[in-house]
Amino acid sequence: MSFESFVARRYLATSGKTAHVALISAISVGGLALGVMALVISLALLSGFQDRIRAQMAERTPHLTVSPERGALLPDEAAIERLVRETPGVVDVVPVVSGRGWLAPAAGGPSTPVRYRNGPAESLPARAGADPSIRVASSVAFRIGVAPGEAVLLTGSRTRMSPIGPVPVSVRLQVAGTPRRGALERTPEVEVSEEIARLLAAVPSGAQAIEARLADPAQADRAARELMRRLPAGYRVETWREKNAPLSFALHLEKLVLFLTIALVILVAALNVVSNLALLVVEKKRDLGVFATMGAGPRALARIYFSLGGRIGAAGTAAGLLLGVATSVLADRFGWVPLPTDVYLFSHVPFAVHPGEVALVGLFSMATALAASILPARAASRSAEREALELSR
Amino acid sequence: MTLAVRAEGLAKTYLGETAPVTVFRNLSFELPEGLFAAVMGPSGSGKSTLLHLLGAIDRPDAGRVEVFGQSLEEMRAAERARFRNATIGFVFQFHHLLPEFTAEENVAFPHRIAGLSAGEARRRARELLDRVGLADRAAHRPRALSGGEQQRVAIARALARGPRLLLADEPTGNLDADSAARVFALLEELHRERGMSTILVTHNPDLAKRCDKIFTMSRNGISPLSSFAGRG
Repeated sequence: MSFESFVARRYLATSGKTAHVALISAISVGGLALGVMALVISLALLSGFQDRIRAQMAERTPHLTVSPERGALLPDEAAIERLVRETPGVVDVVPVVSGRGWLAPAAGGPSTPVRYRNGPAESLPARAGADPSIRVASSVAFRIGVAPGEAVLLTGSRTRMSPIGPVPVSVRLQVAGTPRRGALERTPEVEVSEEIARLLAAVPSGAQAIEARLADPAQADRAARELMRRLPAGYRVETWREKNAPLSFALHLEKLVLFLTIALVILVAALNVVSNLALLVVEKKRDLGVFATMGAGPRALARIYFSLGGRIGAAGTAAGLLLGVATSVLADRFGWVPLPTDVYLFSHVPFAVHPGEVALVGLFSMATALAASILPARAASRSAEREALELSR
Repeated sequence: MTLAVRAEGLAKTYLGETAPVTVFRNLSFELPEGLFAAVMGPSGSGKSTLLHLLGAIDRPDAGRVEVFGQSLEEMRAAERARFRNATIGFVFQFHHLLPEFTAEENVAFPHRIAGLSAGEARRRARELLDRVGLADRAAHRPRALSGGEQQRVAIARALARGPRLLLADEPTGNLDADSAARVFALLEELHRERGMSTILVTHNPDLAKRCDKIFTMSRNGISPLSSFAGRG
């Protein structure tokens, strides 16, 4: 242990005998711990929500989408589909046929513009003698007032000729389900069979895009790069992150603003560290003079106070991290903050502790505590020789 | 003859509360190496200030100070600190031991500052404490020591790095007669043993008479009072 650390450690260890120094040291450590704990819990809370939002993004958005750079249809759908399937990590590939139309109850009532696309066959049961199935997002179903089992009319933008002139193509469909779509939903608001989608969009063959799902959505960027390397020119590949870029940016911004706001607590606690160290400089001014006569230079004397600030910072940061992480983990595991399930998708407030964020909070707190030591350390190093002169008096 | 100290034309003025206070102006002083010199004079004549200038903890307003041929004026703060650590030992009227540390730790500090390991610094500190007769008090904090013991620890601390120049500012001024005699005897012995140069500021003429050389300070400057041949 260096001379400076040795002195700093002894000062703190014996400060208990000087009540006001001990009290102010305890307040400094406690203030830092409180700020660090608040920041860790706040970030864990936000991460808990954001992780679920990202999981929904990854679940409800195709992980990779290949579309033509020009034109509405993929020129060589089969070859592109094969290339996508051969890309490492891809587990499912779906050609996409979609378009815009109007949806209204078959019995009459309000109508609404919707986007439609081909959905998975297993969720769209075909019953003999019945109308083809359609899945309608719950918000759309609520808007036009339809429920599962009821009939709707989906009208596409394509027209066909009739004796009275061109008329839109309409299909009567039976509502097979009204899945709850989150605000994040980027997929079309209604899903129909591929046959109906092709009919409404006037796409008898081929596809407008190829969508793929990956075993691990986190590998989307790498898979997209690999796919771009294999694809001929004239195609673009979008990942689920790129499709949700505005929302991802908003989530990042939200976390940054929260970090900066709660970090103010740590800055206030750092002011306590400054006052504590300034008091120690005054308390130990005779020691500074003695160290100066023994040959301690300005840097060594400054390092004593940096070491003191570092120790106070380390104690406060460690306590804050421990309390913050423990509180977040326990609150998540035991559901300490319940939520009404009819309003939220989760039964309790989720907390997620990200090691990187915890490390960032720790580094910020330590850096703040060390920065708080600069002024007292400089004061100590500058006053040492002056204090040495007082030793003769 | 090698000079331990050479001061030429020193001037020093402090900012007083109401007006500047001139401590001395145009003070010149030389001390041959190896001598035990006493500096006497009335309070306020600048004895302590002279020690501060010679010990590189203060700078003169004018004049030059050389200690063992090294000029102190051009030294930066860090150089002055290294110089003090290697060359100068300070003993004050009050022991100024650090109360949170044991006698051994206090004596080990100059070694730690010089960069020695904790173990080596403590070993050397124990040797020195043994030399001043306080080996059994090494683990005691200063408040557990008597006034004479505290001052002996302070002397051990001042001599830790083997300084060539010891500056003692009334080291017996705060002690009873017995303790003062023992502390002075110890200083004399150590001065002889280590072949260092010593400047002792004292108000005690009996102690001053036992020194190799006596200087008196007044507002007019510093001058040798007498010289005693025959000291070792």
